[in-house]
This record gives sequence, structure tokens and C-alpha cells, in this order.
Amino acid sequence: MVVLLIVPMLQNIYYSFFEWDGLGKPVLVGVRNFVALFQDKVLGGSMLNTVIWVAFTLVFPVLGGLLVAVFVTGVKGENFFKSIFFIPLTISFVATGTIWTYMFSRELGVLNGIFKLIGLPLKLSWLTSVPLNTFSMLLAWTWQQLGTNMVMFLMGLATIPPDPVEACLMDGANGWQTFVHVKFPMLAPVTTVVITMAMVNGFKVFDIIYVMTRGGPYQSSETLAVSMFRETFTLFHMGYGAAISVLLSVIVIVISAAYIRRMTRRDLLYY
Amino acid sequence: MTAARILRIVPLYIILVVLCALWLLPVLSTTLVSLKSPTDFVSQKFYQPPVRIYFLENLRKVLNEYKLNAHFINSLVYALAGGAVAIATASMAGFSIVRLKPKLNFVLFLIIYSGTLFPFQMYLIPVYRLFNVLGLYDTRTGMILIYSAICIPFSLFVYRGFYTTIPREIEEAARLDGCGPVRSFVSIFLPQSLAPTAVVALFQMTWIWNDLLFGMVLSRTQHVRPIMVALATMTGYGGGNIPWIMTGVVFTSVPTVLLFVLLRRFFIQGMTLSIST
Repeated sequence: MVVLLIVPMLQNIYYSFFEWDGLGKPVLVGVRNFVALFQDKVLGGSMLNTVIWVAFTLVFPVLGGLLVAVFVTGVKGENFFKSIFFIPLTISFVATGTIWTYMFSRELGVLNGIFKLIGLPLKLSWLTSVPLNTFSMLLAWTWQQLGTNMVMFLMGLATIPPDPVEACLMDGANGWQTFVHVKFPMLAPVTTVVITMAMVNGFKVFDIIYVMTRGGPYQSSETLAVSMFRETFTLFHMGYGAAISVLLSVIVIVISAAYIRRMTRRDLLYY
Repeated sequence: MTAARILRIVPLYIILVVLCALWLLPVLSTTLVSLKSPTDFVSQKFYQPPVRIYFLENLRKVLNEYKLNAHFINSLVYALAGGAVAIATASMAGFSIVRLKPKLNFVLFLIIYSGTLFPFQMYLIPVYRLFNVLGLYDTRTGMILIYSAICIPFSLFVYRGFYTTIPREIEEAARLDGCGPVRSFVSIFLPQSLAPTAVVALFQMTWIWNDLLFGMVLSRTQHVRPIMVALATMTGYGGGNIPWIMTGVVFTSVPTVLLFVLLRRFFIQGMTLSIST
């Protein structure tokens, strides 16, 4: 474990200061890789895409998951609805990407087919026109991720004691007010976890993009994880790739800092 | 039911039904396409039923030409072996961290837990290089090794969380009766660990099955590449024969979907564990 994970991590940081093609001798270049990182136009676009991915992850899968969880509780046929949102969760990112590549296909795809069926004069190139391709993939992402967040919020909602909610309703608040002032604040611990995990997953997204567009056309839909893969294993810029992964890791760690702190505090209490 | 209530309930149902339809659409169209022959697929509209059920022919094609069965077996081996190694290692490590309390156990745990936080890209290059040097690149042993290593942190997290709930008194009583740490692990902790083991097995085996990144970087040949890499290469870039690909999707997704349907109870437990921290 330590050999396979911890040592490589340190080695990776070390590599990020070198220029190296994977075969020859690594050349020490100091922080030049990191400087290049911020001057690279393609990488700038990929950072922008990553930010879009994270922002949308928060809006659609997370907020959507919360709304669906709230709507679905107590509705007739609750279990049926829940299991439908649950299905995509069991399917891998690769399969999700493949399925949606077909849905988005220009000539034979389902979505363009539906447009034609209802008489919309629209025939979109979902995956090849910029910036539509990023948003198309976000749709597939939402389809896959919403279930996870819904399940977590459902469990959070189940732990809320009924008394304060009833008291609030007695005082004449409507459903919305109850939700905003009572349920949502009590959900806070779950919300923190869901948001942290969703953001981290958004930053790390790779499989779906790789399957659906390979980051293209012309690197337009790349995120940091995809750029790292391309630089490292297609162009063999190992040092530069390592630098990208270090940047990615730093971002992920900063974002999960609040979560880690909470976790460690609890652990220190335990000991 | 009052009019106001109906007014509130009806839009809610409409939203839910529309969303469910949207969510089912990809699943249904994928299944439908996997039943069609390639010629039917091109000549028909996407919603028309197939002229003849063509699934078995598609499946035969996928197995013979893309050799998905070979990759299927690869991934099955990785999932079983990787899961088993992770379970064996993590259950023992979890036990020793919680009960034996070595010095700095918390730091040790943090270091291992950090394994679940860092993006995989962080290990990719050094592991790739290490595997090349050690001759583990493109071998099944190497794949099992890396998958186990990736799985251990989360498994450890689950086991550790579970073991803290076992009351210390039981173990103390056992010690009075002459049980050493090994004996008390085998006879007291292990028999109670069915639930966390099921959670770990379910999560990690699905994860290994669904992995793309490590399979792509660390393997090259048909005898080693895991199944998701094979599926990903089937699609090419926007091309490929769609009914065959969709048959491939169905074929590769059936194991995980079945696993989840059968072990749904444990899945919910695992989710609870991962957020109740």
C-alpha cells in the first residue's frame, strides 16, 4: 500500500520539477513546468472547463438531487421513483458515456430523433460543437450522478426528527418555509459531505469525457484530468503531466479541507 | 382532498413523471438498440421495435470480434482477487489500528486515508514507471496489485468504523479467558464482520469492474486489459457500429447492475457509513 500509493505520490511531486519524456534522462527545470502551466492556452481552457464542470455539478446533480429527494418523500409510488433515479448509479462511467454518445449522435441519435418527431427544426451536433459539447457531457454526468446525491439526501432527511417540523407546521409555516428554516439547516452535515464529494468528483472527472469526446474537438472539452492524461501518455511530457496532477491534487485537497478537518476533529475526540 | 392540495400535488407528479421518463429514456433506447440488427438500426426510427430480435447475433459478434469475453474474465479476476486482497489486508489493519493502538495510530490512519483523497492522476506516472522497471506492466499480477492498493484505504475506513462499534468489554472478557490479539480477531471480530465485508466487497468490486484509467495506462494486450477499456476502445471517436456497441454496454453492465439489485441493502449501509463520519 505504502509502496504503491504514498511513495509514488512523493515521487510524482519530485517529477513535476523535471522535463522528461519517459525514456531519456530527466532534466531538472525547477518550477518551469508550473510557470508553463499558467501560460499554456490549452490548459487555460481546460481549467475553465474544469470550473464549469464543478459549478454545474453543484447546480444539477447536487441541487437536483436535493430537490428530487425532497419531492419524492411521501409521494405515492416513492420506491418506484427512487429506483428509477437509482438505475444509472449502477452503470459505469464508460457505459454512461457510451450510451449518451448514442443519444447525442447527430444522424441516428435519440435526442435529434425526438426533435424531428415533435417537429423542431433542430439538428444539433451535440458532441462536436463548442461549447455545446461540454454541456452535453454534463447532461450525461447529471444523469449518472443525481442518484447518488439523492440517496445521501434521503438518508439525511430520514434522520431529521419529526417534532421541530411539526412544531413549525403548527405555527402556520408552509412546506417551503419549513424546508428553508428547519429541514435545510438540519441537513447541514450531509450537505457538507455531498458538496465536498461532488466538487472533488467534478474536479477529477475523466472517464466520461475520455469516452465521449476524447477531450476534443481540438482539446476544447478537456478538463485538467484529461489534459494530464494527454500530456503524459500521448505526448509523453511526463514532467509537465506530473505538474498538472500536482495542481489538481492541491485544488482537491484545499476543497476537501473543511471535510477533513471535521473528520479529524471527530477522530481526536474518539481517542 | 382540498382543491389547494390537488393544485400542489399535481405539478409535483408531473415533474417527477417527466424526470423519470428522461431518466429511463437512455436505458430503454440502449436496450432497444441492442436488440436490433445493424441494418434495422440504420433504416428504422429510433423508437420503432426491431423486426426480429437480433440480440444473440449481436452478442456473438461482440464476443468474437472484440473478444469481450476475454476482457470479461480479466476484469472478473481483478475484481475477485483485488477485492479479496483488500478485504484481507484492510480487516486486519483496521483491527490493529482500533484495538491494538500502536503509537501514532491516528497519524498512520490519516496517511492511509489520504489515499482516498488524492486524485488517481497523482500516482499514475510513478506507478507506470515503477511497473515498467519491475516488469509488472501489462501483467495480471500488476493489475491485481494496483487495484488492491487502491481499494485498501476505503476498505480500511469501513472496517475501522465498524470495529469501533464493537464494545471493548467483549474483548477484555476474552483476554481474561486467555485470548491473545490474534485469537480475539479470528473468533470475535471476524464472525461479526459480515456486514462491512459485504459493503467493501460490493463497493470495491464494482469500482474495479468499472475502472478505466488504470487499465488504460498499465496494460496493453487482450489478456490483461480490463473490460471497461475494451468497451471504451470499441466506440472509437463517434464511429463504430452502434447496435454492437450497445450490446457491449448491456453485456458489461449486467454484472454490476445485478450485484446492486441483489445487495441493495448493503449498498445503503455503505452510503450511510460514508456520510455518517
